[in-house]
Parts: sequence; C-alpha cells; structure tokens
Amino acid sequence: MLRVKTGDLDKMGLLFERYHRSLYGFLFHMTYNKEASEDLVQNVFYKMLKYRNTFTGDGEFMAWMYQIARNTLKDTYKKKPQQTSHYDVGEFADKIAGGTLADEPLEAKQTRAELHGAMGNLSNDHREVLIMSRFQELKYQEIAQILQITEGAVKVRAHRAMQELKDVYLKMKR
Amino acid sequence: MKCEQYQDLFTDYMNKQLTAAGRADLEQHVAGCNDCARELALLKNIWDQLGELKAPEPSAHAKVRFQAMLDTYTASVTEKRSLWDKITDNWNRVWQLQPRWPLAYSIIVILISFGCGYLIFHNSRSDKQDQQLQALTSQVHELKQTMMLALLENPSASERIRGVSYTSEIKHADKQVINALLVTLNNDPNVNVRLSTLDALAHLANHAEVREGLIKSIVQQDSPLLQSAIADVMLKLQEKRSVGSFKELLKQKDLDQGVREKIKETITQLI
Repeated sequence: MLRVKTGDLDKMGLLFERYHRSLYGFLFHMTYNKEASEDLVQNVFYKMLKYRNTFTGDGEFMAWMYQIARNTLKDTYKKKPQQTSHYDVGEFADKIAGGTLADEPLEAKQTRAELHGAMGNLSNDHREVLIMSRFQELKYQEIAQILQITEGAVKVRAHRAMQELKDVYLKMKR
Repeated sequence: MKCEQYQDLFTDYMNKQLTAAGRADLEQHVAGCNDCARELALLKNIWDQLGELKAPEPSAHAKVRFQAMLDTYTASVTEKRSLWDKITDNWNRVWQLQPRWPLAYSIIVILISFGCGYLIFHNSRSDKQDQQLQALTSQVHELKQTMMLALLENPSASERIRGVSYTSEIKHADKQVINALLVTLNNDPNVNVRLSTLDALAHLANHAEVREGLIKSIVQQDSPLLQSAIADVMLKLQEKRSVGSFKELLKQKDLDQGVREKIKETITQLI
C-alpha cells in the first residue's frame, strides 16, 4: 500500500487480488446481498485509491481496509434510511431452501436458516465482531485495531455477541 | 475458578484465542463438569453451524470492474499530474542545463552591464539635449536680434515699433542692439517709434551705455512729448548727470511751456 501511496497505482491490482475475497466475505456477511457487496467492494477500493494519502503505514493495511469498509457500509445504508438494518434476511432464506446440496438433511438446512435469522437479530456491533472472528478469522488484536477499541473490549463484545446469538437461536428453536 | 468464569472463556476457546495453558485448564474443567460440557457443546454447535454460512465467491465480473476503475483512475491522475509535471520538469531542466553558480554569475554580470549602460547613456543623452537646447535658444535669440535690426530699417512705422518691442524679449541686449535703439531714438522721423524706443531703452537702463545715450539724446529731442517722457524716465532712474542736459534744453527758446515747467520740476526733484 505504501507503494501505491507514492504513486505506483498499478500495485493496487495486487492488493485487490490479495484482499478482495475476504473483504467481499465480510461485506456479504454484513449485508447478505451479493450485488450490494460487490458494489461495496468496488467502492472501498476506489476510496482506498482516492484517500491513499491518509494511509500512514503505521498500522496494518488490513485494519485500514476494514475501517474504510465499515465507513462505506455505514454511509451506504445511511443514504437509504428505509432500511433499518442492512441485513437482508429474506434473500438468503430463499437460497437456503433451494440449497445447492440436495442430499443435505433437511434439518441441517433448517438449522442454518434459523442461525441466519438469529444473526439478523443481532445488533450491528455484535454481528460485526462475530463475523470478523468467525468468518474472517481475525485475531482479537486485529479486530481491536479495526474497531479502534481495546483488545479487552473486543473480548467482552465477542462473548456477549455469542451469548446473544445463543439466546436468540434457542428462542427460535422453541 | 467458577463455572461462570469458565463459560466466559468459551467464546475465546472456540475462537482459538486462549493460550495453551488456558486451553488445557478449560478442557480439564469441562471434562469434569456436566453443565459446562452441555453449554460448550451448545455453543460449539452454533459456532460450527455458523461456519457453514459461507459467503459465495465474488463474481469474476468484480475483477474486471475493478481493473476498469483502476485504469480510469490512473489515467485521470496521470493526466492531472502530467500538465503540472511538464511545467515543473521544464523549469527544473533549465537549472539542470546550467550549473547554478555560473548561471547566477552571468545573470549578475548582465544586470551590472545594464545598470552601467543606463547610467552612461542617460547622462550623455541629457547633456546632449541640454546642449542642443542651448544652441537652439541662442539661435532663436540671434534670429530675433537680426529680425529686430532688420525691422528697425523698415519704412513702415508700425513695423519699426514691432521691431523695437522685440527688444523686451531679448534678455541680454548686446552693444549692437543698444546702438541700433539709440540711433532710432535720436533719428527716427516718427514720434511714436521714438516713444516706444524710449520705453524699450528704459528697460535696459542697467547698461551704462544706455544711460549715457539717453542723457545725450535729451538735447537732441525736439518733440515736447518725447522731452517730457525722457524727463520722466530720468526721474525714475534718478540720473543726476542728466541735469546738465536738461539745463541746456531749458536754454532753447522755442521749448514748449508745459515741457519747460516739467523739466524744471524734474531738475529740482533730481537735485
């Protein structure tokens, strides 16, 4: 990224190759919307190009990228106030029902749909931490850097998120 | 540690965020505690199931779109930069072509030579102009003199008066002019010409020759107008030497009565 900052813009392609999958994953889990996620990825990379001067090189590139991604996400959904949560439940539920693995037991599909619904019920902060730790497999320290809070706070937030998810999930099961 | 405290660590455990020692400790506790084992199993199930919610691969289209965006952006940046860069590059090249010190030195030399040139030429030019101007004025002066002398010879009285009036414009009347005027004063047939000549000579009274000429001409004048006019001039100049001439004039028998009284008065005033 430092190379990009000094004007070697082609190096951005390399960064895209390396990071766009995980970024897409994060945004997908945050939105559950394929097209929107792709647009967001595009947006995030454009912003990184445009604001490349704000990258100090002090922290990790990953943290910087996720910070921009979070802000982009917030901005995008601030513009559409009718959507209170940017978590699209309906679309994925359909996808689960017509899942690609036909021989999968129905129960597993059911569980996943329920879990997905439960995720949708979480607050953005909690879901975010869960996504980062479960799907992005980021360490607490990395998450702390992205969210700009202490590692301890991340720990607490992850724990609470897990508890909330469990509660919501069990409630749905009943 | 209590079960509650262990349960607080379950998330970290699944997250693989615990140290090896902490992990071993927790596993040991769970093995001996049914409640905790159930709780962990439940959470682990959720955790594992959560992992099954995989995100789809981004479409190949994303890569193409990104590349297009990057190209456009790069082009716009380089375009913006290229214009500015061209200017700065050219400017820098000027300095690179010329080593700085020699260039600075030559600029100073150029400036000094311009300064010297300006000083020299400025002075000489103004000198020349002054000279030219002086020559011109003296020429005009001479011309006027000649014209005046020529006009005094003119048969027309009015032309002669004009010639006389030119003398007021001549600042430094030389002998030639004074002589010409005195001759006119004594010999001109027209009274008006002589009167204006007297006026002109009165202006030049600081010249000794003029005064002497005037005193001499007192006796030669026969017009009563002129006689009284000369008396006035003499009074104005406080010329005591003229008294002799006036007394001689009084001896003339055909002198006008008014003039005679005026001259007497003048004599008394002068003495």
